[in-house]
Amino acid sequence: MTEARAEPRKRPVPFRGGGFRPETRRGLGAVVLIGLLLVIEWGVAAGWISPLTLPRPSDVIATFGALHETGMLYAHLFPSLSRLFMGALIGVSAGIAVGFMIGLFTYARAGLVPLVAALFPVPKIALLPLFVIWFGIDEASKYALIAFGTFTPTVVATYGAVDNVDRTLIRMGQSFGLSWWSITRKIVLPGAMPGILSGLRISLAIGIILLVAAEMLGATHGVGAYILEAGSLYDLERLFAGVTILSVLGIIVSAGIGRIERRLLRWRV
Amino acid sequence: MRLNRRQTLSLMGGAAAASGLASPAIARQRAVVGALRLTSHAGSFAAYERGYFDEAGLDVELRFFDAAQPMAVAIASGDVDFGITAMTGGLINLAARGALRVIGGALQEEPGIDGQKILVSNAAFEDGVRSPADLDGRRFGITQAGSSFHYMGSKIAAAEGIELEYRPLQSVGAVIGALQSGDIDGWSIVPHIATALDGSGAVHIIGDVADYIPDYQVTTVFTSRENVDDHRGLTQDFLGAFSRGVADFNAALVDATEGDSAAEEMLRLIHNYVYTDQPFEEASPSIRAGSMRLSPQAALNLDSLRDQLDWFKREDLIDESIEFDTVVDTSFVETQ
Repeated sequence: MTEARAEPRKRPVPFRGGGFRPETRRGLGAVVLIGLLLVIEWGVAAGWISPLTLPRPSDVIATFGALHETGMLYAHLFPSLSRLFMGALIGVSAGIAVGFMIGLFTYARAGLVPLVAALFPVPKIALLPLFVIWFGIDEASKYALIAFGTFTPTVVATYGAVDNVDRTLIRMGQSFGLSWWSITRKIVLPGAMPGILSGLRISLAIGIILLVAAEMLGATHGVGAYILEAGSLYDLERLFAGVTILSVLGIIVSAGIGRIERRLLRWRV
Repeated sequence: MRLNRRQTLSLMGGAAAASGLASPAIARQRAVVGALRLTSHAGSFAAYERGYFDEAGLDVELRFFDAAQPMAVAIASGDVDFGITAMTGGLINLAARGALRVIGGALQEEPGIDGQKILVSNAAFEDGVRSPADLDGRRFGITQAGSSFHYMGSKIAAAEGIELEYRPLQSVGAVIGALQSGDIDGWSIVPHIATALDGSGAVHIIGDVADYIPDYQVTTVFTSRENVDDHRGLTQDFLGAFSRGVADFNAALVDATEGDSAAEEMLRLIHNYVYTDQPFEEASPSIRAGSMRLSPQAALNLDSLRDQLDWFKREDLIDESIEFDTVVDTSFVETQ
């Protein structure tokens, strides 16, 4: 009897905490990617992947080499980057301004939220012919398309972020007698920043998507025009080279926003 | 009545023979034919409507596309068996990858028959562009790099010794819009679209493509590599029936040797597929204006096709190493 009573005390209790916390494993992403590319390379070379379905990764890399050597890479990249930069600059700054207005002012919210909700789901590509009538087939219509595409998600992200600013902090500011402008600048703006930046990731990715659409009309140079040309020629190597450029652009933009986040959001603990 | 065993057997044999005679010796073959809603596809429409495909033992299904490029891809994917469109860069690259081959000719330019036109915008016309030579340094509309428009512009520029700035606009509709708004200066297009635009006062016709590319083979008949190698019978049957449709069309509308009633009949037949949103009276002049020669017996014009292939290579749109014989199979039809 005494033995049976003592037994529960002796049994060790295992540690059940831990887990559910992803850790960083540097380089694993690259290993997965390279492994996948090697499988494709082997598959196409061995013939169980038809050359109609996928290009050989080594051929795509060779296409990149040729693009770099002839200087065409930069001839395509520079116009696209300037279109993305100008379009996104206009769209994002207008979006943040309108988003703040909606977040802060009752009348702006009542008047503009339905409008933004109506504009958001409009496929911007469908409006391309209209943009051409308004802005011609030169750079202006491309800026306008990207600006329009980045504008609505930025507005939605911004006013959502302003809404989520901690109300107790605002009440505290009011208790300490801060002016409206001070509260906006010192509490609302920094408080909304995390939401705005994560919205920016989505807006800029949409901007990159729209780059291809913007270069459908009248563009002779640009990554989007290059991809479209490769598609119409059924040139898979060039197509994948172009798509890879867009992916790398996406990674760079995302990493850039990550840097800005770390810098601007240092105050977060 | 009562049958003995021998009678039963002979009856069974007779029934078997009768059912064997009723169905043709060879099973009927299915074929999907890709088409665009253009007069240049009248060969397929006529062969289909007049039962020539049927008589050749083919169960044909017409499948419609909006542009040449998707049709070539659909043949590569096996969704379509036979297609008729221009020899684009995409088609050549698919042929080089072993997916399809050009087996016959269709639409062609011919001196003396109204062919493709060179157009300029009103703004350019007022600016003094009265002949293709005046287009030097101006914007020329194309759908995509390597399209037939790109080839035509390039040949015109080379003949006149001028430089053109090519503007890819993806679709024919977008090119028409840009031409009307003056965003581009010049373009070339099949006659029924050209005359309709010129008639509406939106653009001006300033020349003929035939003057620059006299024997231009505009569109070709192509099929999958599998049909060329493994189903030669099917391919020959298709080309035979298609050629009968082409002959009817040429006789009725291009040479107009069959009289007015035959022409009217052919126009009505084509109207089942082309300009279906317009009443026949409105559509028939456009269809008639678009009647360019279809190559008799689907004959191939090898000189024109070689020239096009070389042009694609010079423009770096296709690989230098692609051989003519990889793209074109000359074993099915006559060549000229």
